[in-house]
Amino acid sequence: MKAILFALAGLLAVCLPASATQCHVNPVTIPKEWVTMHRNCRMSMRQQIQMEVAASLQYLAMGAHFSKDIVNRPGFAKMFFDAASEEREHAMKLIEYLLMRGELTTDVTTLLQVRAPERKTWEGGVEALEHALLMESAVTKSIRNVIKACEDDSEFNDYHLVDYLTGDFLDEQYKGQRDIAGKASTLKKLLDRHGALGEFIFDKKLIGIDI
Amino acid sequence: MKVIILAVSCLLAVSGALAADTCYQDVSLDCGQASNSLAFRRRSLPRCNAVYGEYGRHGNVATELQAYANLHLERSYEYLLSAAYFNNYQTNRLGFSKLFKKLSDEAWEKTIDIIKHVTMRGDEMNFDQRSTLKVERKNYTVELHELEALAKALDTQKEIAERAFYIHREATRNSQHLHDPEIAQYLEEEFIEDQSKKIRELAGHTTDLKKFITSNNGQDLSLGLYLFDEYLQKVV
Repeated sequence: MKAILFALAGLLAVCLPASATQCHVNPVTIPKEWVTMHRNCRMSMRQQIQMEVAASLQYLAMGAHFSKDIVNRPGFAKMFFDAASEEREHAMKLIEYLLMRGELTTDVTTLLQVRAPERKTWEGGVEALEHALLMESAVTKSIRNVIKACEDDSEFNDYHLVDYLTGDFLDEQYKGQRDIAGKASTLKKLLDRHGALGEFIFDKKLIGIDI
Repeated sequence: MKVIILAVSCLLAVSGALAADTCYQDVSLDCGQASNSLAFRRRSLPRCNAVYGEYGRHGNVATELQAYANLHLERSYEYLLSAAYFNNYQTNRLGFSKLFKKLSDEAWEKTIDIIKHVTMRGDEMNFDQRSTLKVERKNYTVELHELEALAKALDTQKEIAERAFYIHREATRNSQHLHDPEIAQYLEEEFIEDQSKKIRELAGHTTDLKKFITSNNGQDLSLGLYLFDEYLQKVV
């Protein structure tokens, strides 16, 4: 009796999928010769995307810090929230590039993780700007490593991606770094004699109020 | 004299009286101090802050609001991955990709908005804070086919909307310590109304798509999916 039940159950299991609604089109195959990115280059790009996401979260934490009532620096907060959105856009641009090259057909879920930012308080505007500058330097260095990985592959020099990263990303990195460095210097000079006043005025300048 | 003021202010702090002149008392105390050291001044005036209505002192509204920002943040990046998946050359459903990209953008903007609101109420943001609600959620996967992905999006939007209901309930218990109309109003205005529209929209999409898939003995499947994606490209 049990054997019959078993057999019946087995039969049902086989039949069931056939009777279920098919909700998706079966995958098709098309030539893949055009998908040419190599492994090392692809992996370093994936890491770079995660790094941009982590930077976006760290900037969010900076924005949150300077929004606090006991800190009250809306100019800094705005600057860092904007920077957070910018880092998210960098991640999206890198993803777009991978998609354009025929990547990300699999292993998309594992591409990035959202982890709480490491740091959440700063002594003042100067410290945050210096932290931002260090972070951007690390991102720049990392992009250079991606370029290296994509260029040095003995079988495939990925000229186009190297050009894209060099022209678009490094360009933006260097300009961004210069901007932060300038701000940090100006603020630090202001603070030399006029701590509280200096930061207050600088913050208002950031939000577009001239005092 | 100072001792008396101190005693009075302590008494006030303990009684937790609403709208007491606490900041003013701090100022009176502090400005009378002989000490002029910067370090002292920086830590002074502890009660001159944005906290009112006993925000963060009772119940879980304050922590739930932090968790709500984190929920949006996580969902935002998950939606971003879904948008990416539907934009690869094999799936190539640009309409679906657009739909998820929009959901991602909206969740990201809300994240920043909630963080600002948390700090507006005199609190600070905690990126590790999670809701005390027991959430049963399996690991997120973006490699789904069209209808599955829509279903997932619908479920996720409901999760976000129901969390707003929960925080709203916690904020409006009408007991002395658990009543925060400001948070209730914020949720109603910035979240609850739009969420119902979004959910209705996604539910409508799943209805249509399901019909295309099952009608005509499943013969319309591939054309239905294609057309629906074209439609999404137009309307999203």
